[in-house]
Amino acid sequence: MLEKIEKIIARTVDGVGIFLAVVLLLLVLNVAFDVMMRYLFHASSVGMQEMEWHLFSVVILFGVGVALQHEAHVRVDFLYDLMSQKTKALINICGTVLFLVPLSLLILFGSFDFVGDSYSIQEISEDPGGLPYRWVVKSMIPIAFGFLLFSAVGYILKNIKQIRSGK
Amino acid sequence: KVRWKLAMSWSSTLTPFATAPINLAKMVEEMSGGNFTIKVEGAEKHKAALGILDMTKGGQYQMGHSASYYWKGKDITTVFYCTVPFGMNADEQNAWFYKGGGMELMEKTYAKFDVLSFPGGNTGVQMGGWFRKEIKSLDDLKGLKMRIPGLAGEVFAKLGVNVTNIPPGELYTSLDRGTIDALEWVGPAMDIKMGFHKIAPYYYTGWHEPATELQFLVNKKDFNKLPPEYQTMLVTAMKAVTADMFIDNYAGSIDAWAQMKTEFPNIQVKTFPKEVLKAMKKASDEINDEYAAKDPSFKEVLESQRAYTKKARAWTTIGEYNYIKTLQELAE
Amino acid sequence: MTGIIMFFAALVLLSVGYPVAFTFGAVALFFGAIAAYIELMPNPAFVMVAEEFFSMFSMMPFRIYSIMTNTILMAVPLFILMGIILQKSELAERLLESMGILFGKVRGGLAISTVLVGTLLAASTGVVGASVVAMGVISLPVMLKYGYSKKLATGTICAAGTLGQIIPPSIVLIILGDVFQLPVGDLFKAALVPGLVLVGCYIVYIVIIALIDKKVAPEIVVAEEDKKGSIGRALLAILPPLTLIILVLGSIFIGIATPTESAAVGALGAMVLAAMYRKLTWQIVLDSSLQTAQITAMVFAILIGATAFSMVFIYTGADLIVEEFMMGLPGEKWGFIILSMAAIMLLGFFIDFIEISYIVVPILLPISHAIGLNPMWFAILIAMNLQTSFLTPPFGFSLFYLKGVCPPEVQTIDIYRGVVPFIIIQMMVLASIVVFPHLYGLS
Ligand code: NA
Ligand code: NA
Repeated sequence: MLEKIEKIIARTVDGVGIFLAVVLLLLVLNVAFDVMMRYLFHASSVGMQEMEWHLFSVVILFGVGVALQHEAHVRVDFLYDLMSQKTKALINICGTVLFLVPLSLLILFGSFDFVGDSYSIQEISEDPGGLPYRWVVKSMIPIAFGFLLFSAVGYILKNIKQIRSGK
Repeated sequence: KVRWKLAMSWSSTLTPFATAPINLAKMVEEMSGGNFTIKVEGAEKHKAALGILDMTKGGQYQMGHSASYYWKGKDITTVFYCTVPFGMNADEQNAWFYKGGGMELMEKTYAKFDVLSFPGGNTGVQMGGWFRKEIKSLDDLKGLKMRIPGLAGEVFAKLGVNVTNIPPGELYTSLDRGTIDALEWVGPAMDIKMGFHKIAPYYYTGWHEPATELQFLVNKKDFNKLPPEYQTMLVTAMKAVTADMFIDNYAGSIDAWAQMKTEFPNIQVKTFPKEVLKAMKKASDEINDEYAAKDPSFKEVLESQRAYTKKARAWTTIGEYNYIKTLQELAE
Repeated sequence: MTGIIMFFAALVLLSVGYPVAFTFGAVALFFGAIAAYIELMPNPAFVMVAEEFFSMFSMMPFRIYSIMTNTILMAVPLFILMGIILQKSELAERLLESMGILFGKVRGGLAISTVLVGTLLAASTGVVGASVVAMGVISLPVMLKYGYSKKLATGTICAAGTLGQIIPPSIVLIILGDVFQLPVGDLFKAALVPGLVLVGCYIVYIVIIALIDKKVAPEIVVAEEDKKGSIGRALLAILPPLTLIILVLGSIFIGIATPTESAAVGALGAMVLAAMYRKLTWQIVLDSSLQTAQITAMVFAILIGATAFSMVFIYTGADLIVEEFMMGLPGEKWGFIILSMAAIMLLGFFIDFIEISYIVVPILLPISHAIGLNPMWFAILIAMNLQTSFLTPPFGFSLFYLKGVCPPEVQTIDIYRGVVPFIIIQMMVLASIVVFPHLYGLS
């Protein structure tokens, strides 16, 4: 059962990873396009410029959860490397429960007002030609930290499996 | 004992903007015998220059020091409590705020944010900006890359300018290297520190921010919790530092302009051609009418300002304007 | 005081090995609660403490939002993507092979060509791991085969592979630009000369050591006819990446594009290059992009942890304690510079440049302002210092990367001993920037 849940979570996180890879490529195209328009056609659009950081936000926010599953977060590992697989798994479980989860919950619930305020006044860009719907990009914060918690559940399950396997 | 915190949209070293809240804190502390203190934090500390309204509303800070037109994306009506293109000058706007119903309208606009807003220091007329190329006709504006925020940005955008948004730290380099062709900042007192006069020869006269008024924001709940004597202290001190900032900036511009002119005698002060200004005025009126058609509160304040401007300008013209004109004619 | 204790508590907890970002964040939460408790000390009712605690962190969304809208940081993923694509297109391999042939005949020539390739790669990306790994895989076996000492071979590869941090474009410089609020393009420009001086010193060292000790770097005999065709081939391998470097760095230095814009165009250019070498597949592009997204998110996560950390640090007034201490040092600005450089170097043994840039540098920055140091100069000093932290045993990143791809006969101790001369060279260059800033145009 647990393994099944872990697999589903892992697959979902992987799917999000692919999505982010595509978003990042779109970011490259977006910036390159803006440069080209500026130099070749002497045209620039504030909306397209804002789109750049919208895409960037999606990548960095949701990437945190993907990086967790793929072990891409930096550790200070001089002791960690010396430990057995089992101890490592134990550190990961405790660390996730005690460190990652409280921090994520704080940001997740702490950002409700931030998004809500923006939604209630239908905030838009302050610059001419900028993008509307600021609350959408702001709501990426709680959603992304929700996603990080989701990924963390999978990560804990993965490490429980590691301990159970007895190595 | 009351301990408050105030967040600014600028860094603590950006004089004279930052001077106003810093002096406010000093005054309030002295007046209260050290019982009411305000800790002032610059943008270098809280790192959310454009989050001042949200943070004052949310109670992270009891006060903020910012500019009302930064909240244009939250409520377009807020632009009127800073300055608008072709609007009133500082004297007229002050009269509007305190005697022409401006304060009441401002309170109404900011009520939905649960904050109080007070005037926070005026820069007087701002210069139209630094241009690398001379603007001789409307065609010269087409495709021009310029950093200019607010409603003025919308006016320029309507005339074919590529309005871009660049963080202040990158402005000098961007103008120097031609990433942008022009930018507007404030006026001599503040422009001189940015060094734009070293890299752009044309300094255009103002039209877009005739009387930029900064603002003090105060969290309404926290204000109401203050004992009445502290409320009075705070309001009085805000008014005092607001006047001080106007003086600081005016004197600063007098000195800075003299210095710029001596060090860089080739700076050319220009006024936009009449054709361009006419088009700007037309675009500005259209934009105002469009917003007014969509937003009744915008319409209300627009009408109040339009009516007051008309009335005030009649006096300004026979008073201040004629005096300067007379002196100039005398000197010829 | 709570803030100072928190700092050391964080260092201790980090050594357990849980990801840095969340460790820093969680330590901040824990000490934030303590600080709130102390703040309300005479009568700390639970509700009051909780309220104080939450208001301490209620700035979090605003700080995250200002990171999201930070267009300077946007250059980070774009440069990383460019680097990873170049790596996957096996560009480093081609460069190394051709350079080896060009310089093989000179005594120490293989090591010199490794340094030169390291410089070229450094100037095209900001990613350290990629160059170290690539050169470890290709250059190390060749050097060992021709009788180079393990010490010189591994030291050269680590040092040359780390050049990417100081030679622009560089992630360290982008992050420092953000922290210092300096134009990234100007930082790139300012770092160019110090970086090239470092390269020059490496080469001089190799030449001298090869002359003194004939056993460490013997010459290679290459048949004359082999050489002729290979010069052409070598040029062919060097030209395309060189063009990309000139385009990317040139456009930043001349100022026709911001670093972020150049990075995006560079990433596209790298893809075009890879396609020219027939190495570009959809899979490679997607993999590179995914890897980049994760590295960037890792940096972002550390920034969030650091943000929470600094909120508590400032709340407890620890920044003022550090400031007072630093301002009270003897020797005015020299006391401050020496101590801050020593602190960064010491921390560099244990934590990496991102945490240092986001946690330690912001503490030092207001003090350097107060003393009146040239920010550009101070930033380059820090960048040079952080560059060294990649090489310092036991926890230098480059050492790990190389260890991962070494043949079994090369031991960790060989690498440790190998990097020592290069660390000394770096410290000498760093000292020369401290003493003679005008020589580097930084006074
Ligand atoms: Na302005
Ligand atoms: Na580099």
